[in-house]
Amino acid sequence: MLKVVDETKKAFLTGNETVAWAALAAGADIMFGYPITPQNEVMHYWTRLAPRYGRDFLQTEDEISAGFTVCGAVQAGKKAFTATAGPGNVLMQEPFGMAEAMRLPLFAIIQQRGGPSSGTVVYSQQEVALTTYGGNGEGYRIVYSTATHQEIYDYTIKGFNVAWKYRFPTFLLGDGYQAKMREPLEMYDPEEKGIKLEPTYPLVGLPGKIGEGREPQHLCNIYSLEEELYEVVMKLSADYERIAPDLVEWQEHSCEDADIIILTHGIVSRAADDAVKALRAQGIKAGYFRPITLRPYPSQQLREAIAKSGAKILLIAESSYGQFERLTKQEIYGETIKIEHLYMPGVGIVDYDIINKVKSVL
Amino acid sequence: MLRTQFNSARVVEAYVGEYASGKSEMAINRALELKSQGRQVTLVDLDTVEPFYTLRPLKELLEQKGLTVIGFSRPEAFGLGETGAMLTPAARWALRREGDIIFDVGYGVYGARTLNLVEEADTSTELRVIAVLNYSRPMTGSKARIIEYIKELGRVDALVANTHLGDETTLEVIEEGTRIIIECAGELGIPVDYIAIDKKFAGEWNLELFAIPVKWITRYMPAAMW
Repeated sequence: MLKVVDETKKAFLTGNETVAWAALAAGADIMFGYPITPQNEVMHYWTRLAPRYGRDFLQTEDEISAGFTVCGAVQAGKKAFTATAGPGNVLMQEPFGMAEAMRLPLFAIIQQRGGPSSGTVVYSQQEVALTTYGGNGEGYRIVYSTATHQEIYDYTIKGFNVAWKYRFPTFLLGDGYQAKMREPLEMYDPEEKGIKLEPTYPLVGLPGKIGEGREPQHLCNIYSLEEELYEVVMKLSADYERIAPDLVEWQEHSCEDADIIILTHGIVSRAADDAVKALRAQGIKAGYFRPITLRPYPSQQLREAIAKSGAKILLIAESSYGQFERLTKQEIYGETIKIEHLYMPGVGIVDYDIINKVKSVL
Repeated sequence: MLRTQFNSARVVEAYVGEYASGKSEMAINRALELKSQGRQVTLVDLDTVEPFYTLRPLKELLEQKGLTVIGFSRPEAFGLGETGAMLTPAARWALRREGDIIFDVGYGVYGARTLNLVEEADTSTELRVIAVLNYSRPMTGSKARIIEYIKELGRVDALVANTHLGDETTLEVIEEGTRIIIECAGELGIPVDYIAIDKKFAGEWNLELFAIPVKWITRYMPAAMW
C-alpha cells in the first residue's frame, strides 16, 4: 500500500484537513458522511485523498445513515469513521447509542458549531453534553477535546486505536475554529513513531459453528426482558469504570500555589494558558487545568489539583452556557471550592476575557 | 508624475490556488502594495467557497487604508446565515472599474471557476490568473503534486512562491519550497511572478538566492476570524 506520510516533517494545515490526513495515516478504510459545516473539509480532503490510497467513501442520504453505516462497516471489520457537527451530531445520537449498546468501535469527529438547532455554522462548545452523554444510554463513550492541530492529528490516530481496543464509541471533539484555522503540525507515520495500530477484525460472519468452534457474538441493541437489559447495562458500567483510569488525560500547570484555578477544555485552553502566564507575570497566582478527556473525566486529578493548591476559586470558562460547568460539578461533587464562570456561548474566548474575569472575582 | 501613473498599464490579477495556500494574503498585500504606489486599487472578494477565512472581517481596515473593497462586510452579512457566502453583485462588473483590480478567488478547481461569474473575465487581455503555492501544504508538498495540482486548476498565467509554516517558518523552509516551486514552474512553462516572504525575514533572507523578485508580506489574515 502507498505510504501516506513519507517522512516526518512539519506541514501547514487546516484542522479538518488534519483529520483526513491523520485518518489515512491511521489506516482508516472508509469514511461515511453527510455534509455539514464546519466539518465539510474533512470530507473534501478525504474524498480527494482516499482514491490515491485505495480507501473508500460513501456519502449517505443523511446523518442517521452515516452513523449507522459506520456501525455496519466496523462489524465487517473495517476501520470506519464519520464526521459531523451540530444538528448532524443530534441525528447521529441514535447510531452512537447503538455503538454504545453493541460495543462497536465507532469513531466520530465532532466539529462543534453554534446551537440550539442550526445555530451558526461557525463555532461553539455547545456539543459537550450531547457528545459526552447524548442518547438514551448512560454515556459510555470516550471523548477527547483537542486544542491544537497537532492534537487533532495525534488524537485522530489514537481515537481509532482506543475505539478498537476498548470498543466504546470514541469521539474527537473539536470546533469550527479548530476546523478552519491553520497552523503547523508534525505529520508522521504512526508505526514509525512506535505507535502500534490496533488490529481490526470482523464481528460478524465469523468462521466456525456456534457452540462447536466458537462462542456466539452477542451483538444486540434490543432485549425482551428488563433483567436482560439490566445485566447488559451493569456490565457496560463495570467495563467502562474499569478502563476509565487508563483513559483519563489532562493537562495542568501552575496549580501548586494557585489562588485561582482556571478550568477550560478544547480551544479555550489556549486562551487560558496565555491568561495564566500573563496573570502570573502580574503577580496573580493563577493555575491551569484542562481535561483532555471529557469522558471519562479526570475528576480525581482535578480534586487533587484543588487540594494541593488550596485555591479558593475555580473559574470555569467555556464557549457555551454552563454545559462544561455542569459536567465538572457532577464529577467533583462535594468539593467546597467556590466556582465562578465565564460563559460565552458560540463566541471565541481570548486571554483578556479570562484575565478580566479573574480580576473581577479575586 | 500623476499622469505617468494613469498612463501606465493597469494591473488586473486574480489569485487562485489550493485551500489555505495564501490567496487572500497575497491579494491583500498586492493591493496594498499598488495602493502605496499612489494607484487606484479595487480588491474583490470572489470567495464563495469558504466564507470563513475571507477578506470580510478585514474589509473596514482595508478601506481605511485606501482600497476599494467589493465584498460583504460583517454587518452586511449579519442575518444571512449560510447564504452569506453569496457574491456581492458589484463583483460581477468589477472589470469595468477604473484602476487596478485584484481578485481574491475561492480555493481549488471550483473556486477558480468562480471567475466565470465576472463579466469579460474570459476576454480580458489584462487579466492574469496567478496561482499561489505553499510547499508546506501537503496537497502541494512535492514536485509531482504541485505539477498535478496546477494542471487541474485550469488557466494559470503565473505562480507565486509562498512557502511558510505560519509562526514556525524558517529560512530553510522558505528556501526549499521556493526551489521546488521554481523547478515546477520551469517544467510547466509558467513564470514565477514573485516570492512571498513574511517581512520579519527581510533582514535575513539572501536576495541573491533566486533570480526572482521578493515581496515582503504583512500577515493580515490571522486577524480574519469570521
